[in-house]
Amino acid sequence: MNLLEVSNVSKNYTGHKALDNVSLSVPEGTIYGLLGPNGAGKTTLIRIINHITAPDSGEVVFNGHPLTAADVTNIGYLPEERGLYKKMKVGEQAVFFARLKGLSKAEATRSLREWFERFDILSWWNRKVEELSKGMAQKVQFIVTVLHRPKLLIFDEPFSGFDPINANLLKEEIIRLKNEGSTVIFSTHNMASVEELCENITLINRGQNILTGNVNKIRRDYSDGRYDIVFNGNSNELMNALLPLAGNFEVTQASRERESLRLLINPGTSLRDIIEVANNTVEISAINEVMASMNDIFISTVGTADTEIK
Amino acid sequence: MANKIGIIIGREFKERVHKKSFIITTILMPIFMLALMAAPALIMMVSSGETRDFLVVDESGVIAQNLKNTEETRFTPVTVSLDSALNNKEVNGVLYIPQGVVESNKTIRLYTNGASSMTLENGITSDVNDIIESIRLKSYNIENLNEIMDKIHSDVKLQSIRTDKSEDEAQSSTELSYFLGVSLTFLLYMCLLLYGQMVMTSIIEEKNNRVLEIVVSSVKPTQIMLGKILGICSVAVTQIVIWGILIAAMSAFILPAITPAEMSAEVNALNAGTLDAAGASTDIELLQAMSVLGNGGYIIQLFVLLILFLVGGFLLYSAIYAAIGSAVDNIQDAGQLQSFIIFPIIIGIIFGMTAAGDPTSSLSMWMSFIPFTSPMVMMARIPSGIPGWEIAVSLIILYASFLAAIWVAAKIYRVGIFMYGKKPSFKDLIRWARYK
Repeated sequence: MNLLEVSNVSKNYTGHKALDNVSLSVPEGTIYGLLGPNGAGKTTLIRIINHITAPDSGEVVFNGHPLTAADVTNIGYLPEERGLYKKMKVGEQAVFFARLKGLSKAEATRSLREWFERFDILSWWNRKVEELSKGMAQKVQFIVTVLHRPKLLIFDEPFSGFDPINANLLKEEIIRLKNEGSTVIFSTHNMASVEELCENITLINRGQNILTGNVNKIRRDYSDGRYDIVFNGNSNELMNALLPLAGNFEVTQASRERESLRLLINPGTSLRDIIEVANNTVEISAINEVMASMNDIFISTVGTADTEIK
Repeated sequence: MANKIGIIIGREFKERVHKKSFIITTILMPIFMLALMAAPALIMMVSSGETRDFLVVDESGVIAQNLKNTEETRFTPVTVSLDSALNNKEVNGVLYIPQGVVESNKTIRLYTNGASSMTLENGITSDVNDIIESIRLKSYNIENLNEIMDKIHSDVKLQSIRTDKSEDEAQSSTELSYFLGVSLTFLLYMCLLLYGQMVMTSIIEEKNNRVLEIVVSSVKPTQIMLGKILGICSVAVTQIVIWGILIAAMSAFILPAITPAEMSAEVNALNAGTLDAAGASTDIELLQAMSVLGNGGYIIQLFVLLILFLVGGFLLYSAIYAAIGSAVDNIQDAGQLQSFIIFPIIIGIIFGMTAAGDPTSSLSMWMSFIPFTSPMVMMARIPSGIPGWEIAVSLIILYASFLAAIWVAAKIYRVGIFMYGKKPSFKDLIRWARYK
């Protein structure tokens, strides 16, 4: 079942189309990547989903009914550009935001204490925000976003400003929230984290949805038949043996003193032939299909779309 | 939804009322105001130590000896010629009185080696005129002239009573009305400017540190704006109410304590309508002022109206302040747009001051209906006791304009808070207000 359905949404600002007939569906309980270059219209789309701005045309269906203002209590949004009231105390401020999302004061205080304990930041409760570092403030913001247990979570560049340890902590929390049933929309320029976290993506460029679907399928579709063979043995021998069947060889060091050969299979040759030849030459420990990286897919699709427009 | 506005109002209110600056201004302002009122008297006391010396070259020979020295001016008659008197640089100046000044009107001259003053010149002119008049009178050789003069001398006092008011309020003090009118206008002017600007700067701040991006995901922009305006409004009202209580306490406990018994008796007589003004030992205006200030019902009525006009005026102006604040990135960019607010406020205070002096003129009346100037002009007129329907009409127009202004401001705000980096013009604001 899809938690969120965006159908044919358009939004115009004077002079330019921020969104042009964009549709996407976010399945419940998954992490969905919303990608696109700067200024593509992602933020506008997120604002429409958050009921901050209204689309000029099109429809947003949330949890089976057209999106209303009351639905914002079931959505948690962590914007890319974010801040807190500097002069307010951390705890007081978190309670304020939680109450705006519909929690009672007592409820908010109770679950905030839980979260603060989990993140080991309970001692910040009575400190003013201006005394916190940027990373610390981001943690507080993350908690504020997820505190009311929303069905839909929208994170815009959630890892920016975090050190690797805290970024990892955050990643685990996001996965945990997903496992507990939350649906996550995840907007980022960090393609590695998209490959790692997202099941489906939509790529927006110049207000249009130019690529949408399952991440693994997309990566396979964009793959060009390259394989990595990890083996023990002489790499030159292997290359010579495979020369009639494949090309574009690249040798790299693999772990545990093994080597890895990347190759592109010639047309008309099957993987079975390759394995047979290789198996006679070296000791194979693994063969993997090389999937196109999201980074390459992003660059090639956005790049082509841009040249088409020009 | 209303609940969310309430949460925002609560946050705005708490943040400001807990500030040290709020507590300090709330307590210090009445003291500062009292000091401001006492200042002219203090300055006069200090500056009176200065004495100006003048030489008098009197060719008529009858004026100089009659000139009276005061604390500020001292006249020394000399017999030397004008030219040699002018050579004396140690005195502040020379007064020259030509021959025959008693017989026919002539010009007397004051030579000063520095700036003179209007008070000084008027004082000398009227002194010399009085002397010449009495010399001329004496020349008619009237018997018992001094007795006659004493009997002729008149000193009536005017006690004005309103015929369009009930007995209680009939006592009216024009001077007090003027004073109250000017003070209330000024108070309102300060509140509109200070608290209105507070709305603007705090919106700019929220926009700049991007906390708004988080708030808008939970609350509609219009509700955020309303919450902010109403929150700051309640701070302003709290402050005025505290001032009101402080002033009421002062007048209830301190005023009777420092008023001489004789004066209180006269105030009571005035209230009972049995006072003969001419026989009173205290100035009638002062007595009337004291009588009005002792009238609790009148003070409360005035106070309630002050709050109504303050809230109405504040809401109207702060809606515009909010629209401007949402549109700009920093306070410097707000400068030009702010003139749309400052200008009407300045006009308001100018006409307010005029209206305090002449509350019934038709200009004052119209100005107290126009919403941008009405709070200030109305507060200047109310102490003089104007018809209730005028106040009602003015209030209705004011609150209706607030609704219109907030409607337009909300449209601009909604767009403005997401606009960064560009300094918007007035035209941009109008365009944003038209967005669907």
